[in-house]
Amino acid sequence: MKVIVEDVSLKFRLYHEGSASAKEYFANLLRRQKNKAFSDFWALKNVSLSIGEGERVGIIGRNGAGKSTLLKTVCRVYEPTYGRIVANGRIAPLLEIGAGFHPEFTGRENIYFNGTILGYNKRLLREIESEVIAFAELEEFIDTPVKYYSTGMYMRLAFSLATTVHPDILVLDELFAGGDSEFVKRGKERMYRMIDRASVMILVSHDQSLLRSLCKRFIWLDHGKIIADGDVDVLNRYCAG
Amino acid sequence: MSVTAVVFSTIFNMDLKTYAIFLFAGMIPFSYFSTSVVQSGQSFIQNESLLKKIYVPKLLFPLGVSVALLIDSLLTFVALFLIVVVIGGKISFALIFVPFAYLLLFLFTFGVALVMSVSTVYSRDLQHIVGILMQALLFLSPVFYKPDALQGKVAWLISLNPLTQFIDLFRTPIYSGEFPSLTTVLISMALAATSVFVGLWFFAKHENKVAFRL
Repeated sequence: MKVIVEDVSLKFRLYHEGSASAKEYFANLLRRQKNKAFSDFWALKNVSLSIGEGERVGIIGRNGAGKSTLLKTVCRVYEPTYGRIVANGRIAPLLEIGAGFHPEFTGRENIYFNGTILGYNKRLLREIESEVIAFAELEEFIDTPVKYYSTGMYMRLAFSLATTVHPDILVLDELFAGGDSEFVKRGKERMYRMIDRASVMILVSHDQSLLRSLCKRFIWLDHGKIIADGDVDVLNRYCAG
Repeated sequence: MSVTAVVFSTIFNMDLKTYAIFLFAGMIPFSYFSTSVVQSGQSFIQNESLLKKIYVPKLLFPLGVSVALLIDSLLTFVALFLIVVVIGGKISFALIFVPFAYLLLFLFTFGVALVMSVSTVYSRDLQHIVGILMQALLFLSPVFYKPDALQGKVAWLISLNPLTQFIDLFRTPIYSGEFPSLTTVLISMALAATSVFVGLWFFAKHENKVAFRL
């Protein structure tokens, strides 16, 4: 098994008065009527699943169902409150748009910066640099700081870097938002090739046709729980409401 | 710093050159401590976009700040040391103690920086508060004056201030040309060890919650 999620629950703490500060804390000591500063919210509740080699999993569900939270937990951005997660292999996460670029660095610097975080060594990065830039079609802008990039450019660079070297586990959240149809087409082709090399892919998307073309297995989440887990039938049921 | 040297050497009625060396030896450890603690406080907040998107060992952020500023401080030390040589300061064998002083200072500072980095995520106004506290600490540390210059009711503040020990570690070899006393070295070692252990314990306890609060 490549990814094992074992009875994972995740608690979020919602703060009622914006972000807590030392000022608020001291003001609260003086206040006579104390209102509770936070309430708890379970974003994931007893989620268990395991994903084997070569599986292509689509995670579906309404807004706020816990899809992105699940992905972030798999990528170790969030630590589960209970339960545990085992991921065997190198994870390449593309969460939200972009993949953890430094806004002040240029595109080229970010290839090295982000690549190092992904666990690639410098020699490998030097080898793939031109390929990454070519696939992202950013030759013209590669020495511009990424903070000036458009959403589409940002996403193209992130996707290109994450997929040029085949990661063992590719985690994608609303991947092609902002990409033009030509890039989406090339991106899909690249993903098909990757799947042949038996890497795991986990994808969160609301785009039905993308899900149908890329995924074989679907997990339906609602309010932090798994409603259904199975083949394309699950997607059909979800779409039917 | 040269303005400070001119002003205070006049106030204290000391020779400018002697005072400049005295000031520099105290300023080096203090500014390393103060900038590291303040900047570590911002290390997670500034890298928020990164921490929320990809797993990075979180210790790297305060560690990166502390090490980068250490290199900065070492370079400042070399530059100021050359000035000391030019204006005719004492160069003694005791200077070989400086690297060890740096090591102890680094450990002590790093522990405090670890606590600061996590705490600032919880209450962001802490960075402003700490900025002000550092200003107060500067005047309560024997940077501009000798530790025994502050007499009377406030003298205990100086003796309780951990930075007094670390400033002494630097000042004795650079200014007086002697090795610091064994007591000072032992107290500093104890402070550095406590700080690092408390810092690492606090950090390990809270680092997993950081991503939720950014």
